[in-house]
Amino acid sequence: MSGPWSGVRVVEQTGLTGAYATRMWAALGADVVVVEPPGGHLLRHLPPFAPGHEGPDASLWWAFFAQGKRSVVAEPGSDEHARLVASADVVIGDVDPTRDTPRPAHDRQVVVAVSPFGLSGPRKGWKGSDLVAWASAGLAFTIGFPDRAPVAPATPVQFAAHVTSLFALNGAMLGLRGVRRTGRGQVVDLSMQECCLSLAPETGVPIFLDDRVARPRPGNRRRVTRPWGLYPCADGHVSFLVLQPAHWKAMATWIADITGVESVLDEAFNDMHVRWEVSDFIDELTEQVTRPRTKLELFREGQGRGIPITPVNSVADLRADPHLESAGFWRDDEHPVLGTLPSPGALFRVNHDWWQWASAPRLGEHTEAELARA
Amino acid sequence: VGVLDDVSVVELSIAIAAPSCGRALAFHGADVVKLESRTNPDVARLFGSAWATDVEREVFMDTSPYVPEMSANKRSLGLELKGAEGRSAALALLANTEVFVTNYSTPAVRALGLGYEDVAAVNPSIVYVALPGFGSDAAQPYYEFLAWGPNQAPLVGLDALTGYPDQEPAGIASIAPPDYFAGLHAFAAVLTGLEHRDRTGEGSFIDIAQFETTVSSLGPFLLDHALSDRTADRSGNRLEWLAPQGCYPCIGDDRWVAITVGDDDQWSALAGMIGGAASDSRFGSLAERVARHDELDELIGAWTSIRTATEAAHQLQDAGVPAYEVHDIVGVLHDEQVRDRRWFQLVGSLRFPDGDVFSGHPIHLSETPGRWWQAGPSMGQDTVEVLTKRAGLSVDEVDALLASGVAFTEAGPDQTLRRPYIDYAEILGVHRTEA
Repeated sequence: MSGPWSGVRVVEQTGLTGAYATRMWAALGADVVVVEPPGGHLLRHLPPFAPGHEGPDASLWWAFFAQGKRSVVAEPGSDEHARLVASADVVIGDVDPTRDTPRPAHDRQVVVAVSPFGLSGPRKGWKGSDLVAWASAGLAFTIGFPDRAPVAPATPVQFAAHVTSLFALNGAMLGLRGVRRTGRGQVVDLSMQECCLSLAPETGVPIFLDDRVARPRPGNRRRVTRPWGLYPCADGHVSFLVLQPAHWKAMATWIADITGVESVLDEAFNDMHVRWEVSDFIDELTEQVTRPRTKLELFREGQGRGIPITPVNSVADLRADPHLESAGFWRDDEHPVLGTLPSPGALFRVNHDWWQWASAPRLGEHTEAELARA
Repeated sequence: VGVLDDVSVVELSIAIAAPSCGRALAFHGADVVKLESRTNPDVARLFGSAWATDVEREVFMDTSPYVPEMSANKRSLGLELKGAEGRSAALALLANTEVFVTNYSTPAVRALGLGYEDVAAVNPSIVYVALPGFGSDAAQPYYEFLAWGPNQAPLVGLDALTGYPDQEPAGIASIAPPDYFAGLHAFAAVLTGLEHRDRTGEGSFIDIAQFETTVSSLGPFLLDHALSDRTADRSGNRLEWLAPQGCYPCIGDDRWVAITVGDDDQWSALAGMIGGAASDSRFGSLAERVARHDELDELIGAWTSIRTATEAAHQLQDAGVPAYEVHDIVGVLHDEQVRDRRWFQLVGSLRFPDGDVFSGHPIHLSETPGRWWQAGPSMGQDTVEVLTKRAGLSVDEVDALLASGVAFTEAGPDQTLRRPYIDYAEILGVHRTEA
C-alpha cells in the first residue's frame, strides 16, 4: 500500500536542518523533492565518505539522510525553480530573515521557514550553527568538565539540526491539517535557538527561578547523588542513574556481593543526600564493581538486579547491539553506486504497512521527471 | 484557534518523553487529559518546589516547576488505575478519545489492562502511541530493562561522542535530549496516525522504542563503521568539515563565546579582525585550518579574552561570522532575542492564579498560532468534568468513584500560592498572557 502521506508534495531546501525528519516523511509516503545547486547539496560534500568512492554520491551523510527523496537540480531564481516551488504542498527551507520574506506560493501552501534565531527579533539576522544553537540556549554551558571549555553534545552528530528537523516536520504536518480545516496555507516560523531551548527545562529558567541553584557543568557525574553518571569499566564506561530508594538497595546489595563491604547496606545510605555527602566512598565502591567487567555484562546483570544502568555505547557497540539486531532495526539499503548499506530503517513499528524505502538519489536524477510534473 | 482543537488525547505518562508530546498537542489546541495517580505520581510532580516547605504533600506536588514545563494546557484526571473500577472508567474515557499516548513501560501498561488490544477493543479507531525504552515486543532482549532520562544519552551513543578526545567522555549529564527526541517522534506519529485515520477510518498502534529513535540520528557514522570499520570519536567542538570552531574564553569568570567558521569567506572575515599571524596564508584552506586548529585556537583565544562575550559575539556577527555568547542560565533569561520573541510565558493556574513561569513552544504558525491558556493543572483538577463530559459517566457513578477513593479531585482547592519571584517576572522579560 502507499504510505499515509502519499500525495503530499514537499520541496526541501535545507542543508542539515531538515534532513533527518524529511527522510522519515519520505519513508511515510510523502513525495520529498530536494532542490540542489549544480554543485550538489551540502550533505554530498560532508565526510565520512564511502571507501573507494568519490564524487556526489560518496558522502554517507547524503547516502543516509537523502534516502527516499528525489533530486532536482535547479538554480535559485530560475523559472524551473519557481515552478517547482509553486507545485509543492509544503516547502521546508533554510531562510535568511534579513533578506527573505517567506510566503506561500499559492493559497494552500505551507512554508516552513527555518532560521538560526527566527523571523523576528533583534538578532534575527545572526548566523548560526549547531554549536551556536547549543550555546544560545544555555546548554553548551552545562556540558563538559569544569577545567575545560564547554562542549556541544555529540558535535559530530549535529544533533541540534536533527531536533530542529523534527519540529519542522511537525510544523509542516500541523500546517497541512490547517489547510484541510481552513482551506488556507501558512508560514511556520522556526528558530533553532528555540528548538534547543525546548530541550532545556532541567537547566532552564523556570527551574532556576525556583531554586536559584546555578548549574555549572559537572563533568560526567551529576551533583545530586551517587552513583549517578559515568563509571569506568573493562571496555569503556557504564552509566548509572540511582536515585530511588529501591534502586539504591539493589545497588548496595550488588556492591556488598562483590566487594564484601557490608557497611554499604546501612540504612543511612538509603537517603540520596547522604550518598552525595560521601560521594568518594560510594564512587570507589561502585568502581570496584564496574572496573573488572564489561559494559554488556554490567548492563545485563545490573538491569537483572533492577538497577538503572546502561552501557556508554560507541558506534561500534551499537552496530553489535543485541536489541537492534533482533528488533529489526537494520535495513539493507541496496545503493546503486555504493552497494549494500546496512542502514537504520523504520523509526517505529506500526500495525500497518506504512514504511517504504528507496536509496538516496543521484545528483539531478529526477530533474526531468519532476520539472515535467511541476 | 489551534489546528488540533478538534482532537482529544489521553496521556498516561511519566517524566519527559510522552509529556513533552502531549504538551505540544495541547499548545496547538488538542484537549489533552493526563491520567494521574496519588499512589504512583509522576516524578515531575515529586520534585515540588524548594520554597514550598509548609504545604501538605498533595499541594506540594502542584508546585513543581516541571508541572507547567511538562503539562501546561493539559487537564488532569485523578484516577487510581490499579483496580477494576479505575480501569473501567479509563476505558470509558478512551472509548471517546482519538489519541492515546503513553511512555509507561509496556509491562506496566499491560498490567493495568490498557495495552493496545485492551483499548482497541473499546475503540478500534484510536491512534495508540507507545514509547517505552525498548519497544513493546516481549521477545526482545531488553524488554524489561529500565532506561530513562539521563541514562538514555549514553545508551544511544551520544555520550561517547561528547567531550574531548583526550579525556573521558563528558556525557550530557545535565539534560536528556533523547527523551525530547523520542517525544518529537511521538508527535509526528500522532499526526501521521490522525492523517491515516482521516483517510481510511482506521486506527493505529504505533510502537516507538526510545532507544531506536536517537540511534537513527547517527546514521552516517553507523554506515561508516559498516563500510570502513571506523568508530567515530568525540572531538570536543571540532568538525573535520569546517574549521575553526570552538568555545573561546572571554572577560569574566567562566565566560565564553562560541564561534563557528563555516567557510573560507568567514575565515577571511575573522582573520581580518584578528590580524597578525591569523592573516597568514598557512590557514587559507580548510585542510590547513583543520591541521593547525590548536594554533588557531590560541590566536582566536587571545583576541576573545580581552573582550566580553557579548562584545565578541556582536563584532563577529557584524563581520558575518556565526558566534554567540555561551549563555549560562542568567544569560538565557536576559537574552535580547529570547525576550523579544517572548519565549518565557507567564500564565495563571488554579494553584498560582497570579501566574506561573514556563517555556514556550517553537512551532509558530502564522494563521493558526496555538496559545497558552493555563500553566498546568493541579492533580485531579478536572476529574469530575472529564469523567462526566468526556467519559460519559453519570454524576452518581462519579460520586461513587470519588467516595471510594478510586477517583480524586484537587487537594485544597481554595489554597492558592504565589511564586516568590512572581512580582519580578515581567521585569525579567517573561511575557504575560491573560488566560
